[in-house]
Amino acid sequence: MSPNLLLSEETSTQNLRRRLLAIAGTVILVATYLTLIITQPTGIAEGLGQGVALGTFAAYLVAAVLLLLAVLSDLQVSTLTLIPVALALNIILGQFVGSVMVPLYLDSIGTVIVGFLAGRRAGAATGVLSTLVWSLFAPTVLPFAAGAALVGFLAGTAARFGALRRVYLAPVAGLVAGVLVGVVSSPVATFVYGGTSGVGTGAVVAAFRSMGDSLLSAVTKQALISDPGDKAVVFLIAALLVYALPQRLSGSFAFVRRYRVLGKRVSK
Amino acid sequence: MPRTIHLHPFTILAVAVAVVSTTTAASQWWLSCAVLGLCLLISGWAGQLKKLSVLSGAMLLPTLLSLLLIHGLVSRDNSPAIAQWGPVRVTVHGLEVALSLGLRTAVLVVVGLLCGLLIDKHQLVAAIDLSPVPPQLGYLLAATHFLLPQMGEKQRRIGEAQTLRRVGTGKGVTGWFQRVRLRAVPLVLASMQDAQDRAVHLSARGFPAIGTRTRLRTVPDSSAQRAIRWIAIVVAVLGPVLILVLAQLGSKS
Repeated sequence: MSPNLLLSEETSTQNLRRRLLAIAGTVILVATYLTLIITQPTGIAEGLGQGVALGTFAAYLVAAVLLLLAVLSDLQVSTLTLIPVALALNIILGQFVGSVMVPLYLDSIGTVIVGFLAGRRAGAATGVLSTLVWSLFAPTVLPFAAGAALVGFLAGTAARFGALRRVYLAPVAGLVAGVLVGVVSSPVATFVYGGTSGVGTGAVVAAFRSMGDSLLSAVTKQALISDPGDKAVVFLIAALLVYALPQRLSGSFAFVRRYRVLGKRVSK
Repeated sequence: MPRTIHLHPFTILAVAVAVVSTTTAASQWWLSCAVLGLCLLISGWAGQLKKLSVLSGAMLLPTLLSLLLIHGLVSRDNSPAIAQWGPVRVTVHGLEVALSLGLRTAVLVVVGLLCGLLIDKHQLVAAIDLSPVPPQLGYLLAATHFLLPQMGEKQRRIGEAQTLRRVGTGKGVTGWFQRVRLRAVPLVLASMQDAQDRAVHLSARGFPAIGTRTRLRTVPDSSAQRAIRWIAIVVAVLGPVLILVLAQLGSKS
């Protein structure tokens, strides 16, 4: 029989390799974040500031790719076919929302749906992949891959602990996720780009700077204003879309069945 | 008619990474401008100048305005102000910082977008499949690339159908939310049903395949290109370190 028709046996070496990759990715991410927060490098545009920018960019990207490699071989085929749909939804729904001048990004709906249906590993992988694919059209998003992974991871965690069993819990989980994502992503915006990429968000950062805040503090405060609201709306929309799925579809995901993600809610 | 470039996609990506990292580390306005000029020349040769200019402009304009607001108008350094009005304080140093950060971002955006325009997506997928990375990655990239236009078209048709039904035409926030719901729900449901159907077929065919895979599409490669890739990777890693060390030594002496 062809080896392709057999389920591959997981060896302890593969398992260990995956764990080491996940640990390495997490350690790099946490170490970079703590280093930046503790040292708060100044002079971001001159001297060693260029090194800080390159180091932050590389560390966040490498951490995201390591986390992706740790979970990729673990994903079921049903999750793998769902991820491209989620990536396309991120882009298409994000563009549609952007075209009607609503002051939200809503560019992670697909990632959150995957997190809700397939768990935190799949959600994190979708976040990283979404950023990698989107970077072919917008290269500046590349160092935000770790933040996107965190969105998917937190969506999966929220679903696992019952955030979808009551509709009002989803935006609350989104609010908490938004705070964490904003805090993790702000060093990238500060030390790689020297601020934000939008005029509105730039004005908010400038306002905080004029009040005496450091650049990192101003960007973090701006992120804490924008991200929680955005993620609350994204989590709510994603939850409503998951509720609208037929039960045979949502129930086909082992994560949904195992953790009773939808509780007693029964779709048609 | 856009020209295609007959290089291995990884060669283009490796050179781009080396160029961006060394230019960022050097932080010299003339070098950044030279790289940007070269990118525009290459895009002109490839017949992609207009596309590159429009895409880059759309991304860089708000970024530059934002940096001017943050660093140019609310400068907090000790140098003398050239204009001051309430909390707004403009200094030469602040404007220099905004310009320097803007150029740094411009190099990343223009080089990155040029890569996206020059690389043939089919070749990139084939190159990933032939490389030692997990086969799932090639599938995900290829599937997303081909799904995007399909789902864009599906969304357009759903919008047309809803307009024909004369629903989702309301104004204000309620109208916007209704439009989002009427477009998003059918799009998500149909796309997820398609994904589930594909999963069954892929599982039946033993995806992801283990062992070596045969691909009909070959990716042009040569020993010279392999050498260029290695050199580019070494330059991307060691170049910035060398530049920063020399800059530090120069500033101390």
